[in-house]
Amino acid sequence: MKTLTIKKITQLLGIMMITALFSNPIYAQNKDVASSTVTSQDITIKGKVMDENGPLPGVNIVLKGSKTGAVTDVNGEFTFPKSLSSGDVLIFSFLGYDKQEIKIDGKTTYINLLMSNDIIEIMGAPSTDKPYKSKRSN
Amino acid sequence: MRYLLLFLVAFQSHAQISDFDHINFSKSDQIALMHKNEELDNMPELVYNLTSELDTDVERFRAIYMWVCHNIANDYTLYLKNKRKRNKYKNDSIKLKAWNDRFKKDVFRKLLKQEKTICTGYAYIVQQLANLANLDCEIVHGYGKTSMTNIESLDPPNHSWNAIKLDGKWYLCDPTWASGIPEPETNIFRFDYNDGYFLSNPKLFIINHFPQDQKWILLENETHSFDEFLAAPILYGKAYTNLVEHDTPKQMHHLLHKDEKISFKYQLQKTINVESVSFLIDDGYSNKRTKPNSISIDEQSLTLEHQFDTNGFYDVHLYIGDDLISTYTFKVKG
Repeated sequence: MKTLTIKKITQLLGIMMITALFSNPIYAQNKDVASSTVTSQDITIKGKVMDENGPLPGVNIVLKGSKTGAVTDVNGEFTFPKSLSSGDVLIFSFLGYDKQEIKIDGKTTYINLLMSNDIIEIMGAPSTDKPYKSKRSN
Repeated sequence: MRYLLLFLVAFQSHAQISDFDHINFSKSDQIALMHKNEELDNMPELVYNLTSELDTDVERFRAIYMWVCHNIANDYTLYLKNKRKRNKYKNDSIKLKAWNDRFKKDVFRKLLKQEKTICTGYAYIVQQLANLANLDCEIVHGYGKTSMTNIESLDPPNHSWNAIKLDGKWYLCDPTWASGIPEPETNIFRFDYNDGYFLSNPKLFIINHFPQDQKWILLENETHSFDEFLAAPILYGKAYTNLVEHDTPKQMHHLLHKDEKISFKYQLQKTINVESVSFLIDDGYSNKRTKPNSISIDEQSLTLEHQFDTNGFYDVHLYIGDDLISTYTFKVKG
Protein backbone atom coordinates (compact mmCIF):
# COMPACT_ATOMS: atom_id res chain seq x y z
CA MET A 1 0.00 0.00 0.00
CA LYS A 2 2.79 2.35 0.94
CA THR A 3 4.76 1.58 -2.22
CA LEU A 4 1.60 2.14 -4.22
CA THR A 5 1.19 5.63 -2.74
CA ILE A 6 4.79 6.45 -3.58
CA LYS A 7 4.13 5.16 -7.10
CA LYS A 8 1.06 7.36 -7.32
CA ILE A 9 2.98 10.36 -6.02
CA THR A 10 5.71 9.72 -8.55
CA GLN A 11 3.10 9.47 -11.30
CA LEU A 12 1.45 12.65 -10.16
CA LEU A 13 4.81 14.41 -9.96
CA GLY A 14 5.60 13.13 -13.43
CA ILE A 15 2.34 14.47 -14.81
CA MET A 16 2.98 17.77 -13.06
CA MET A 17 6.44 18.01 -14.52
CA ILE A 18 5.20 17.23 -18.00
CA THR A 19 2.44 19.77 -17.55
CA ALA A 20 5.05 22.28 -16.39
CA LEU A 21 7.06 21.56 -19.51
CA PHE A 22 4.16 22.34 -21.77
CA SER A 23 2.62 25.08 -19.76
CA ASN A 24 4.81 27.83 -21.14
CA PRO A 25 3.67 27.82 -24.74
CA ILE A 26 0.10 27.24 -23.62
CA TYR A 27 0.33 30.20 -21.32
CA ALA A 28 1.69 32.33 -24.14
CA GLN A 29 -1.21 31.33 -26.35
CA ASN A 30 -3.74 32.04 -23.64
CA LYS A 31 -2.17 35.40 -23.01
CA ASP A 32 -2.39 36.27 -26.68
CA VAL A 33 -6.03 35.34 -26.84
CA ALA A 34 -6.73 37.15 -23.60
CA SER A 35 -5.06 40.38 -24.66
CA SER A 36 -6.70 40.37 -28.06
CA THR A 37 -10.13 39.74 -26.60
CA VAL A 38 -9.67 42.50 -24.07
CA THR A 39 -8.31 45.09 -26.48
CA SER A 40 -9.61 43.94 -29.84
CA GLN A 41 -12.27 46.42 -30.72
CA ASP A 42 -12.30 45.80 -34.45
CA ILE A 43 -11.45 49.40 -35.12
CA THR A 44 -11.98 50.75 -38.60
CA ILE A 45 -9.23 53.24 -39.27
CA LYS A 46 -9.68 56.21 -41.57
CA GLY A 47 -7.41 59.15 -42.09
CA LYS A 48 -5.79 61.81 -44.17
CA VAL A 49 -2.14 62.26 -45.17
CA MET A 50 -0.64 65.65 -45.97
CA ASP A 51 2.72 67.25 -46.56
CA GLU A 52 3.57 70.94 -46.17
CA ASN A 53 1.87 71.67 -49.49
CA GLY A 54 -1.43 69.88 -48.89
CA PRO A 55 -3.01 66.43 -49.31
CA LEU A 56 -0.76 63.61 -50.54
CA PRO A 57 -2.37 61.12 -52.91
CA GLY A 58 -0.74 57.73 -53.55
CA VAL A 59 0.74 57.19 -50.08
CA ASN A 60 1.19 53.48 -49.28
CA ILE A 61 -0.25 52.26 -46.00
CA VAL A 62 0.53 48.74 -44.83
CA LEU A 63 -0.28 46.84 -41.65
CA LYS A 64 3.12 45.95 -40.18
CA GLY A 65 3.96 42.27 -40.53
CA SER A 66 1.24 41.66 -43.10
CA LYS A 67 0.62 42.34 -46.74
CA THR A 68 -2.68 44.11 -46.19
CA GLY A 69 -2.52 47.67 -47.39
CA ALA A 70 -4.23 50.74 -48.73
CA VAL A 71 -3.37 53.80 -50.77
CA THR A 72 -4.52 57.39 -50.19
CA ASP A 73 -6.91 58.83 -52.79
CA VAL A 74 -6.68 62.18 -54.60
CA ASN A 75 -7.70 63.99 -51.41
CA GLY A 76 -5.01 62.21 -49.40
CA GLU A 77 -7.72 60.19 -47.62
CA PHE A 78 -7.93 56.48 -46.93
CA THR A 79 -10.01 53.82 -45.19
CA PHE A 80 -7.97 50.82 -44.10
CA PRO A 81 -9.64 47.70 -45.61
CA LYS A 82 -9.17 45.51 -42.52
CA SER A 83 -10.44 46.09 -38.97
CA LEU A 84 -7.53 46.69 -36.63
CA SER A 85 -6.87 46.17 -32.92
CA SER A 86 -4.94 48.38 -30.57
CA GLY A 87 -1.26 47.58 -30.75
CA ASP A 88 -1.35 47.11 -34.53
CA VAL A 89 1.10 49.30 -36.41
CA LEU A 90 0.43 51.01 -39.73
CA ILE A 91 3.40 51.93 -41.91
CA PHE A 92 3.01 54.99 -44.13
CA SER A 93 5.48 55.33 -46.99
CA PHE A 94 5.79 57.43 -50.10
CA LEU A 95 8.66 57.90 -52.51
CA GLY A 96 10.84 60.76 -51.34
CA TYR A 97 9.31 60.99 -47.87
CA ASP A 98 10.38 59.65 -44.49
CA LYS A 99 8.65 56.40 -43.63
CA GLN A 100 6.37 56.69 -40.56
CA GLU A 101 4.92 54.09 -38.23
CA ILE A 102 1.68 54.77 -36.38
CA LYS A 103 0.59 52.55 -33.51
CA ILE A 104 -3.14 52.03 -33.15
CA ASP A 105 -4.06 52.90 -29.54
CA GLY A 106 -7.73 51.91 -29.40
CA LYS A 107 -8.93 55.49 -28.91
CA THR A 108 -8.18 57.01 -32.29
CA THR A 109 -10.12 55.99 -35.35
CA TYR A 110 -9.06 58.91 -37.56
CA ILE A 111 -5.36 59.51 -38.31
CA ASN A 112 -4.16 62.91 -39.45
CA LEU A 113 -0.61 62.48 -40.64
CA LEU A 114 1.92 65.03 -41.81
CA MET A 115 4.74 63.48 -43.83
CA SER A 116 8.05 65.22 -44.24
CA ASN A 117 10.60 65.08 -47.02
CA ASP A 118 13.36 62.54 -46.82
CA ILE A 119 16.84 63.85 -47.52
CA ILE A 120 17.79 62.14 -50.74
CA GLU A 121 20.68 62.58 -53.02
CA ILE A 122 19.52 62.28 -56.59
CA MET A 123 22.20 60.87 -58.81
CA GLY A 124 22.46 58.66 -61.82
CA ALA A 125 25.13 57.17 -64.03
CA PRO A 126 23.69 55.01 -66.80
CA SER A 127 25.46 51.88 -67.91
CA THR A 128 27.13 51.88 -71.29
CA ASP A 129 28.61 49.45 -73.79
CA LYS A 130 30.68 52.11 -75.51
CA PRO A 131 34.32 50.98 -75.47
CA TYR A 132 36.66 53.28 -73.57
CA LYS A 133 38.77 55.56 -75.77
CA SER A 134 41.98 57.20 -74.53
CA LYS A 135 42.38 60.90 -75.10
CA ARG A 136 45.40 61.24 -77.34
CA SER A 137 47.44 64.25 -78.25
CA ASN A 138 48.49 62.80 -81.66
CA MET B 1 33.54 15.32 -42.76
CA ARG B 2 32.22 15.91 -46.25
CA TYR B 3 29.55 18.22 -44.86
CA LEU B 4 32.11 20.04 -42.77
CA LEU B 5 34.16 20.64 -45.91
CA LEU B 6 31.06 21.79 -47.76
CA PHE B 7 30.29 24.12 -44.89
CA LEU B 8 33.80 25.54 -44.95
CA VAL B 9 33.66 26.14 -48.68
CA ALA B 10 30.25 27.79 -48.37
CA PHE B 11 31.48 29.91 -45.51
CA GLN B 12 34.43 31.26 -47.42
CA SER B 13 32.59 32.37 -50.53
CA HIS B 14 31.12 35.86 -50.50
CA ALA B 15 27.38 36.46 -50.50
CA GLN B 16 26.34 36.10 -54.13
CA ILE B 17 23.85 34.49 -56.49
CA SER B 18 25.52 31.05 -56.27
CA ASP B 19 24.17 30.79 -52.70
CA PHE B 20 20.78 30.26 -54.36
CA ASP B 21 21.77 27.72 -56.99
CA HIS B 22 19.05 25.43 -55.63
CA ILE B 23 16.34 28.01 -56.38
CA ASN B 24 14.67 28.19 -59.74
CA PHE B 25 13.69 31.79 -60.47
CA SER B 26 11.44 31.01 -63.43
CA LYS B 27 8.26 31.35 -61.36
CA SER B 28 9.35 34.77 -60.02
CA ASP B 29 10.32 35.90 -63.52
CA GLN B 30 7.00 34.73 -64.95
CA ILE B 31 5.03 36.58 -62.28
CA ALA B 32 7.03 39.76 -62.95
CA LEU B 33 6.28 39.40 -66.66
CA MET B 34 2.58 38.75 -66.03
CA HIS B 35 2.30 42.10 -64.25
CA LYS B 36 4.17 44.08 -66.87
CA ASN B 37 2.55 47.44 -67.59
CA GLU B 38 0.93 47.57 -64.17
CA GLU B 39 1.22 51.01 -62.65
CA LEU B 40 2.93 52.36 -59.59
CA ASP B 41 -0.14 54.10 -58.20
CA ASN B 42 -0.97 51.26 -55.84
CA MET B 43 2.29 49.82 -54.60
CA PRO B 44 0.94 47.55 -51.83
CA GLU B 45 -1.31 45.89 -54.41
CA LEU B 46 1.52 45.59 -56.93
CA VAL B 47 3.76 44.03 -54.26
CA TYR B 48 0.99 41.66 -53.24
CA ASN B 49 0.49 40.61 -56.86
CA LEU B 50 4.21 40.09 -57.33
CA THR B 51 4.98 38.19 -54.15
CA SER B 52 1.92 36.43 -52.69
CA GLU B 53 2.43 33.19 -54.60
CA LEU B 54 6.13 32.85 -53.83
CA ASP B 55 7.55 30.86 -50.92
CA THR B 56 11.01 32.26 -50.22
CA ASP B 57 12.36 35.78 -49.63
CA VAL B 58 14.85 35.47 -52.47
CA GLU B 59 12.05 34.57 -54.92
CA ARG B 60 9.90 37.44 -53.65
CA PHE B 61 12.79 39.87 -54.05
CA ARG B 62 13.56 38.46 -57.48
CA ALA B 63 9.99 39.15 -58.69
CA ILE B 64 10.15 42.76 -57.43
CA TYR B 65 13.61 43.35 -58.91
CA MET B 66 12.63 41.84 -62.28
CA TRP B 67 9.48 43.95 -62.40
CA VAL B 68 11.48 47.15 -61.77
CA CYS B 69 14.20 46.24 -64.30
CA HIS B 70 11.64 45.52 -67.01
CA ASN B 71 9.21 48.38 -66.39
CA ILE B 72 11.20 51.42 -65.32
CA ALA B 73 13.06 53.24 -68.08
CA ASN B 74 16.24 55.18 -67.54
CA ASP B 75 15.84 58.83 -68.48
CA TYR B 76 19.12 59.94 -69.98
CA THR B 77 18.18 63.60 -70.52
CA LEU B 78 17.20 63.81 -66.86
CA TYR B 79 20.57 62.31 -66.00
CA LEU B 80 22.52 64.83 -68.10
CA LYS B 81 20.60 67.77 -66.66
CA ASN B 82 21.29 66.58 -63.12
CA LYS B 83 24.95 65.90 -63.83
CA ARG B 84 25.45 69.42 -65.17
CA LYS B 85 23.83 71.02 -62.14
CA ARG B 86 25.60 68.80 -59.63
CA ASN B 87 28.95 69.69 -61.11
CA LYS B 88 28.08 73.38 -61.16
CA TYR B 89 27.06 73.41 -57.50
CA LYS B 90 29.52 70.87 -56.16
CA ASN B 91 31.33 73.46 -54.01
CA ASP B 92 28.16 75.23 -52.89
CA SER B 93 26.27 72.95 -50.54
CA ILE B 94 23.29 75.31 -50.13
CA LYS B 95 22.69 75.61 -53.86
CA LEU B 96 23.29 71.89 -54.30
CA LYS B 97 20.66 71.12 -51.69
CA ALA B 98 18.18 73.53 -53.24
CA TRP B 99 18.73 71.98 -56.66
CA ASN B 100 18.45 68.51 -55.21
CA ASP B 101 15.14 69.32 -53.49
CA ARG B 102 13.67 70.73 -56.68
CA PHE B 103 15.00 67.93 -58.85
CA LYS B 104 13.84 65.22 -56.46
CA LYS B 105 10.18 66.23 -56.88
CA ASP B 106 10.66 66.08 -60.62
CA VAL B 107 12.22 62.63 -60.46
CA PHE B 108 9.54 61.06 -58.29
CA ARG B 109 6.73 62.65 -60.27
CA LYS B 110 8.21 61.20 -63.48
CA LEU B 111 8.74 57.85 -61.79
CA LEU B 112 5.13 57.55 -60.67
CA LYS B 113 3.49 58.97 -63.79
CA GLN B 114 5.76 57.85 -66.62
CA GLU B 115 7.74 55.06 -64.96
CA LYS B 116 10.95 56.80 -66.00
CA THR B 117 13.81 57.62 -63.69
CA ILE B 118 17.55 57.80 -63.05
CA CYS B 119 19.42 55.46 -60.78
CA THR B 120 18.45 56.86 -57.38
CA GLY B 121 14.91 56.29 -58.61
CA TYR B 122 15.59 52.63 -59.40
CA ALA B 123 17.23 52.09 -56.03
CA TYR B 124 14.33 53.87 -54.32
CA ILE B 125 11.59 51.94 -56.01
CA VAL B 126 13.33 48.60 -55.38
CA GLN B 127 13.73 49.53 -51.70
CA GLN B 128 10.16 50.77 -51.37
CA LEU B 129 8.62 47.70 -53.00
CA ALA B 130 10.90 45.31 -51.08
CA ASN B 131 10.02 47.01 -47.79
CA LEU B 132 6.33 46.62 -48.60
CA ALA B 133 7.02 42.87 -48.90
CA ASN B 134 8.66 42.91 -45.42
CA LEU B 135 12.15 42.55 -46.90
CA ASP B 136 15.16 44.37 -45.46
CA CYS B 137 16.53 46.45 -48.34
CA GLU B 138 18.89 49.45 -48.31
CA ILE B 139 19.96 52.09 -50.81
CA VAL B 140 23.70 52.38 -51.29
CA HIS B 141 25.07 55.68 -52.65
CA GLY B 142 28.50 55.86 -54.18
CA TYR B 143 30.60 55.93 -57.30
CA GLY B 144 29.86 53.92 -60.40
CA LYS B 145 32.57 53.62 -63.00
CA THR B 146 31.88 53.14 -66.71
CA SER B 147 33.83 53.90 -69.88
CA MET B 148 32.02 57.25 -69.99
CA THR B 149 32.56 58.49 -66.44
CA ASN B 150 35.43 60.85 -66.11
CA ILE B 151 37.22 58.88 -63.47
CA GLU B 152 40.27 61.08 -63.20
CA SER B 153 38.32 64.24 -62.42
CA LEU B 154 36.70 62.78 -59.27
CA ASP B 155 33.11 63.71 -60.00
CA PRO B 156 30.82 63.92 -56.97
CA PRO B 157 29.05 60.61 -56.20
CA ASN B 158 27.18 59.60 -59.31
CA HIS B 159 25.40 56.31 -58.69
CA SER B 160 23.08 54.38 -56.34
CA TRP B 161 22.36 50.70 -55.99
CA ASN B 162 20.80 48.30 -53.45
CA ALA B 163 21.78 45.93 -50.68
CA ILE B 164 19.23 43.25 -49.79
CA LYS B 165 19.23 40.99 -46.73
CA LEU B 166 18.29 37.39 -47.52
CA ASP B 167 18.54 34.53 -45.03
CA GLY B 168 20.50 36.81 -42.70
CA LYS B 169 23.14 37.81 -45.27
CA TRP B 170 23.53 41.03 -47.24
CA TYR B 171 23.73 40.89 -51.04
CA LEU B 172 24.36 43.51 -53.73
CA CYS B 173 22.41 44.36 -56.85
CA ASP B 174 22.31 47.19 -59.37
CA PRO B 175 18.84 47.59 -60.91
CA THR B 176 19.86 50.70 -62.90
CA TRP B 177 22.61 49.00 -64.82
CA ALA B 178 20.62 45.76 -65.09
CA SER B 179 17.65 47.36 -66.83
CA GLY B 180 19.36 48.48 -70.03
CA ILE B 181 21.49 51.13 -71.68
CA PRO B 182 20.94 54.37 -73.59
CA GLU B 183 21.63 53.94 -77.30
CA PRO B 184 25.03 55.61 -77.79
CA GLU B 185 23.91 57.65 -80.83
CA THR B 186 20.44 58.76 -79.83
CA ASN B 187 20.65 58.59 -76.01
CA ILE B 188 17.27 56.88 -76.09
CA PHE B 189 16.98 54.21 -73.41
CA ARG B 190 16.68 50.63 -74.57
CA PHE B 191 15.55 47.84 -72.20
CA ASP B 192 18.22 45.15 -72.29
CA TYR B 193 18.12 43.16 -69.06
CA ASN B 194 21.50 41.99 -67.69
CA ASP B 195 21.12 39.23 -65.11
CA GLY B 196 24.71 39.63 -63.90
CA TYR B 197 23.79 42.54 -61.61
CA PHE B 198 21.44 40.43 -59.48
CA LEU B 199 23.15 39.34 -56.22
CA SER B 200 26.54 39.97 -57.85
CA ASN B 201 29.86 38.80 -56.48
CA PRO B 202 31.13 41.66 -54.25
CA LYS B 203 34.66 41.02 -55.60
CA LEU B 204 33.55 41.94 -59.10
CA PHE B 205 31.20 44.67 -57.88
CA ILE B 206 33.94 46.63 -56.06
CA ILE B 207 35.82 47.11 -59.34
CA ASN B 208 33.16 49.51 -60.64
CA HIS B 209 31.02 50.30 -57.55
CA PHE B 210 32.60 52.17 -54.65
CA PRO B 211 30.12 52.93 -51.82
CA GLN B 212 30.31 56.13 -49.76
CA ASP B 213 29.74 54.02 -46.66
CA GLN B 214 32.38 51.32 -46.90
CA LYS B 215 30.42 48.75 -44.93
CA TRP B 216 28.56 48.09 -48.19
CA ILE B 217 31.69 46.74 -49.89
CA LEU B 218 30.64 43.49 -48.16
CA LEU B 219 34.13 41.98 -48.31
CA GLU B 220 35.12 41.14 -44.78
CA ASN B 221 38.80 40.96 -43.94
CA GLU B 222 39.69 42.87 -47.10
CA THR B 223 40.56 46.53 -47.45
CA HIS B 224 39.69 48.45 -50.56
CA SER B 225 40.72 52.06 -51.03
CA PHE B 226 39.12 54.67 -53.24
CA ASP B 227 42.48 55.09 -55.01
CA GLU B 228 42.50 51.40 -55.94
CA PHE B 229 38.98 51.84 -57.29
CA LEU B 230 40.04 54.84 -59.39
CA ALA B 231 43.03 52.93 -60.75
CA ALA B 232 41.08 49.75 -61.55
CA PRO B 233 40.34 48.60 -65.13
CA ILE B 234 37.00 49.38 -66.75
CA LEU B 235 34.49 46.56 -66.62
CA TYR B 236 31.45 46.39 -68.90
CA GLY B 237 28.04 44.86 -68.26
CA LYS B 238 29.00 41.61 -69.96
CA ALA B 239 31.80 41.08 -67.42
CA TYR B 240 28.98 40.30 -64.99
CA THR B 241 27.54 37.56 -67.19
CA ASN B 242 30.90 35.95 -68.01
CA LEU B 243 33.15 36.39 -64.97
CA VAL B 244 33.07 35.30 -61.36
CA GLU B 245 36.21 37.30 -60.59
CA HIS B 246 38.62 39.66 -62.31
CA ASP B 247 41.96 38.83 -60.65
CA THR B 248 44.66 40.72 -62.61
CA PRO B 249 45.69 43.23 -63.78
CA LYS B 250 44.46 45.39 -60.91
CA GLN B 251 45.20 48.59 -62.83
CA MET B 252 43.76 50.22 -65.91
CA HIS B 253 46.92 52.03 -67.08
CA HIS B 254 50.29 50.33 -67.65
CA LEU B 255 53.76 51.35 -68.68
CA LEU B 256 55.64 48.50 -70.38
CA HIS B 257 58.96 47.89 -72.05
CA LYS B 258 58.90 46.46 -75.53
CA ASP B 259 58.68 42.67 -75.31
CA GLU B 260 57.75 42.80 -71.63
CA LYS B 261 55.09 40.24 -70.82
CA ILE B 262 51.84 41.20 -69.14
CA SER B 263 49.49 38.57 -67.77
CA PHE B 264 45.73 38.63 -67.23
CA LYS B 265 43.80 36.30 -64.95
CA TYR B 266 40.05 35.74 -64.61
CA GLN B 267 37.65 33.27 -63.01
CA LEU B 268 34.89 32.32 -65.43
CA GLN B 269 31.25 31.47 -64.75
CA LYS B 270 31.42 28.57 -67.19
CA THR B 271 34.11 26.92 -69.26
CA ILE B 272 34.64 28.59 -72.62
CA ASN B 273 36.35 27.80 -75.88
CA VAL B 274 39.91 29.20 -76.32
CA GLU B 275 38.80 30.41 -79.75
CA SER B 276 36.27 32.80 -78.24
CA VAL B 277 38.89 34.93 -76.46
CA SER B 278 40.22 37.96 -78.34
CA PHE B 279 41.66 41.45 -77.94
CA LEU B 280 40.56 44.51 -79.85
CA ILE B 281 43.60 46.78 -79.85
CA ASP B 282 43.32 50.48 -80.68
CA ASP B 283 46.69 52.13 -81.38
CA GLY B 284 45.18 55.56 -82.04
CA TYR B 285 44.97 55.03 -85.80
CA SER B 286 43.06 51.81 -86.22
CA ASN B 287 41.36 48.97 -84.37
CA LYS B 288 42.85 45.50 -84.80
CA ARG B 289 41.26 42.27 -83.64
CA THR B 290 44.06 39.98 -82.40
CA LYS B 291 44.66 37.00 -80.15
CA PRO B 292 46.63 37.29 -76.93
CA ASN B 293 50.06 35.59 -77.31
CA SER B 294 48.95 32.81 -75.01
CA ILE B 295 45.55 31.71 -73.78
CA SER B 296 45.13 28.96 -71.22
CA ILE B 297 41.91 27.74 -69.69
CA ASP B 298 42.10 25.47 -66.68
CA GLU B 299 38.54 24.48 -65.74
CA GLN B 300 37.02 27.89 -64.98
CA SER B 301 40.26 29.81 -64.68
CA LEU B 302 41.35 31.88 -67.70
CA THR B 303 44.95 33.11 -68.01
CA LEU B 304 46.22 35.28 -70.86
CA GLU B 305 49.71 36.54 -71.68
CA HIS B 306 50.61 39.25 -74.11
CA GLN B 307 53.53 41.38 -75.24
CA PHE B 308 53.75 44.29 -77.64
CA ASP B 309 56.52 44.24 -80.24
CA THR B 310 56.29 47.88 -81.28
CA ASN B 311 56.31 51.08 -79.27
CA GLY B 312 53.04 52.90 -78.96
CA PHE B 313 50.01 53.68 -76.87
CA TYR B 314 47.34 51.00 -76.93
CA ASP B 315 43.76 50.70 -75.67
CA VAL B 316 43.22 46.98 -75.19
CA HIS B 317 39.65 45.65 -75.03
CA LEU B 318 39.07 42.05 -73.95
CA TYR B 319 36.25 40.16 -75.67
CA ILE B 320 34.77 36.74 -74.97
CA GLY B 321 32.84 35.94 -78.13
CA ASP B 322 30.99 39.18 -78.93
CA ASP B 323 30.89 40.22 -75.30
CA LEU B 324 33.03 43.22 -74.36
CA ILE B 325 34.48 42.42 -70.93
CA SER B 326 37.12 44.98 -69.91
CA THR B 327 39.56 47.68 -71.05
CA TYR B 328 43.22 48.43 -70.18
CA THR B 329 45.76 50.86 -71.64
CA PHE B 330 49.44 50.18 -72.34
CA LYS B 331 52.18 52.66 -73.06
CA VAL B 332 55.00 50.67 -74.64
CA LYS B 333 58.51 52.10 -74.81
CA GLY B 334 61.64 50.49 -76.17
